[in-house]
Amino acid sequence: MTGIGGRAAVVGIGATEFSKDSRRSELKLAAQAVRAALADAGLRPADVDGLVTFTMDTNTEAAVARELGIPQLRFFSRIHYGGGAACATVQQAALAIAAGVAEVVVCYRAFNERSGHRFGQFSTALASAPTSSGVDASWSYPMGLGTPGAQVAMVARRYMHVTGATSEDFGRVAVADRRHAATNPKAFFYGRPITLAEHQASRWITEPLHLLDCCQESDGGVAVVVTSAERARDLAQPPVLVRAAAQGSGPDQFVMTSYYRDALTGLPEMGIVANQLWAQAGITAQDVDVAVLYDHFTPFVLMQLEELGFCPRGEARHFVADGGIEIDGRLPVNPHGGQLGEAYIHGMNGIAEGVRQVRGTAVNQVARVEHVLVTAGTGVPTSGLVLGR
Amino acid sequence: MTVDILGRAGQVRAAGECAPRSARDPVNQPMINNWVEALGDANPIYTSEAAARAAGHPGVVAPPAMIQVWTMAGLHGRRAADDPLQIMTALLDEAGFTSVVATNCEQTYHRYLRVGEHLRMTTALEDVTGPKRTALGDGWFVTTRNVWYSGEEPVAEMRFRVLKFAPGPAAAPAGADAVRPVVSRDTAFFWEGTAAGELRIQRCGACGTLRHPPGPMCPSCGADDPGYVLASGRGTVFSYVVHHHPPVPGRTVPFVVALVELEEGVRMLGGLVGVDPGEVRIGMAVEAALTRVDDGLTLPDWRPAR
Amino acid sequence: MIGPGTALPAMTVEATPTFVVATAVATRDFQDVHHDRDAALARGSKDIFVNILTDTGLVQRFVTDWAGPAARVHDIKIRLGVPCYAYDTLHFSGEVTAVDGDRVTVSVIGRGSLGDHVSGTVTVSGVTP
Repeated sequence: MTGIGGRAAVVGIGATEFSKDSRRSELKLAAQAVRAALADAGLRPADVDGLVTFTMDTNTEAAVARELGIPQLRFFSRIHYGGGAACATVQQAALAIAAGVAEVVVCYRAFNERSGHRFGQFSTALASAPTSSGVDASWSYPMGLGTPGAQVAMVARRYMHVTGATSEDFGRVAVADRRHAATNPKAFFYGRPITLAEHQASRWITEPLHLLDCCQESDGGVAVVVTSAERARDLAQPPVLVRAAAQGSGPDQFVMTSYYRDALTGLPEMGIVANQLWAQAGITAQDVDVAVLYDHFTPFVLMQLEELGFCPRGEARHFVADGGIEIDGRLPVNPHGGQLGEAYIHGMNGIAEGVRQVRGTAVNQVARVEHVLVTAGTGVPTSGLVLGR
Repeated sequence: MTVDILGRAGQVRAAGECAPRSARDPVNQPMINNWVEALGDANPIYTSEAAARAAGHPGVVAPPAMIQVWTMAGLHGRRAADDPLQIMTALLDEAGFTSVVATNCEQTYHRYLRVGEHLRMTTALEDVTGPKRTALGDGWFVTTRNVWYSGEEPVAEMRFRVLKFAPGPAAAPAGADAVRPVVSRDTAFFWEGTAAGELRIQRCGACGTLRHPPGPMCPSCGADDPGYVLASGRGTVFSYVVHHHPPVPGRTVPFVVALVELEEGVRMLGGLVGVDPGEVRIGMAVEAALTRVDDGLTLPDWRPAR
Repeated sequence: MIGPGTALPAMTVEATPTFVVATAVATRDFQDVHHDRDAALARGSKDIFVNILTDTGLVQRFVTDWAGPAARVHDIKIRLGVPCYAYDTLHFSGEVTAVDGDRVTVSVIGRGSLGDHVSGTVTVSGVTP
């Protein structure tokens, strides 16, 4: 184990309900999620001295601190690249704690992503920003390619061409996630599993992606409390150690449109994350007991399985078809239902699930969990975590 | 409400020219002076006898474009009851096409006019077409024809077209809702190229490496003074999507977007047009088909190679 | 040598409120939208705007500024685009599109901040730039 591995622990998780219309402000969602996470940890707002979120979050650290009555902050930071920020918020917290800059850091993400600003819609504003991002977007948005689904579909089509994967292979990811969600009362799709035939019959979003290849749009908030491994021992919950935390950005990297490099069949930035995670935690992919893989769109789950080393290149479809990602499979993936089945909270609900799996309190608990891998947004500069005891 | 627009238009058209309207004043120097002063027109033939003669006129002449000015109704003027445009306007108002915008004005001048000539103008209805879906709303185009006479001599004519429309939901003008690129100093050459009918690929000024999308500094050698080469316009489909949902501004679904591998080796994203979405295949040969959206934007689209 | 593609010198016109009003009155066009800002706003316009008779006059001026005093204007055919409101600036550009003996056809575009305000063609003879 090297670097920050094992020096910080997640000691509290909290969330609002996940819905299609929260009927309250995003700040209220954030404040409620943070308060719930602190209660879970057995900590008070006054114990918090650091806050981390996404640059996309609309709630400033100052505003959240104010609502919570946190008297002082010594560390606050934000991570860019949409869902790619999820695990990196915990990395930020772990870094600050390892450096002695902060002692209790809460990572949060809260939004009305369904009833408010919907990421799945075509955002002209995103494409007209006078920034390098706006210039980058100018190579795809004016051509009509500007929704996350369409951006992923371009990679998925090439992946199918090269590997022989089919829409049904993508569908098996959706079916597995929804099967898991069906037994998770917190999941929006609780009690509502789907069949492969239903996946195939669902309408096109952007070919080759069907509606059921796409994650949900959700309102909600999630927060996780991070502190030192030392302090974690005295708190309410069994500590969940941050065994590894890493970020990654690859060669010729774009945000969702890295179309100009290599074969377009991998996720190099996730490979960069994986190599660091295994090195920090002192494990290999074979030591992972549960994987919470970012699943905004099904094709990227297959590609992650390959990029992370769970199966050889081009063979994820066989891995999935053999029941490999079921609760009792070789690698249980997204036991909570993922963002396809539980809710889309920009990957933060996946971190909470990772914590529950290590604690042994998950609704779809996997037996004998030593190491949980959690990944953040795919197709963007991203991040990952290994959580463990 | 039923208004027989075409039937009434036929009657008005058949009636031909309405009674002539006389100009209030003859062609005169003070009004010419006001006009050239307001418009900033320094052509001396309108104000100087000597200059007019030097230009081959017998004396000062009126600006041809003033023709309509001489017969304007004036501050308190009203159109005559038998004025065809007046009749059609009232009719279309009644039918709910209450707004008006002029779309075309075509004037022909048979000769230049001298100070002192007294003009008369007639109006006839030439055409009424509609209803048409326009950028402003559903409406009717009304075309009238005016003839100006000096004595019995026709000296000028005008075809004038207005759109009488019902404001409301209608098709957007071409390009109005197109998504426009953010153009930086590093990428302007590309968009200037498409506007000029060229597909340009950035080429490092030092090591010659081709690159798309372009950027300010060569990732291969570090040089920061790139140029460009013209693409042959030939390539193959490297990947593609068929977009159905959600709606995209300026596009009608389904439409195809392709990632094209150019024969020069770089990849470029563009619309793939002129093909049934079901016929697109990875590897299919395509050629550049620049699509001009409007003066400000030409997109690097593609079509199947011929 | 004049031939298809010969460009005309550019012309810029500042459509100040004074310009809009002065040209409207000089063309005896007393519609309120050309001189009364409140009335223009009430009718859904952003401001007072340049009238059509002035457009024809400006297109003529653009061409004869180039063609010289000896030129004869035979016809002016314009298509009207987006409005030119007060405080906008019109940029005229044009080029020769056809030469038939002494007759020269010129295409003209007058562009404002909202887009093409006026476009069209003018036929002239006796061009001596």
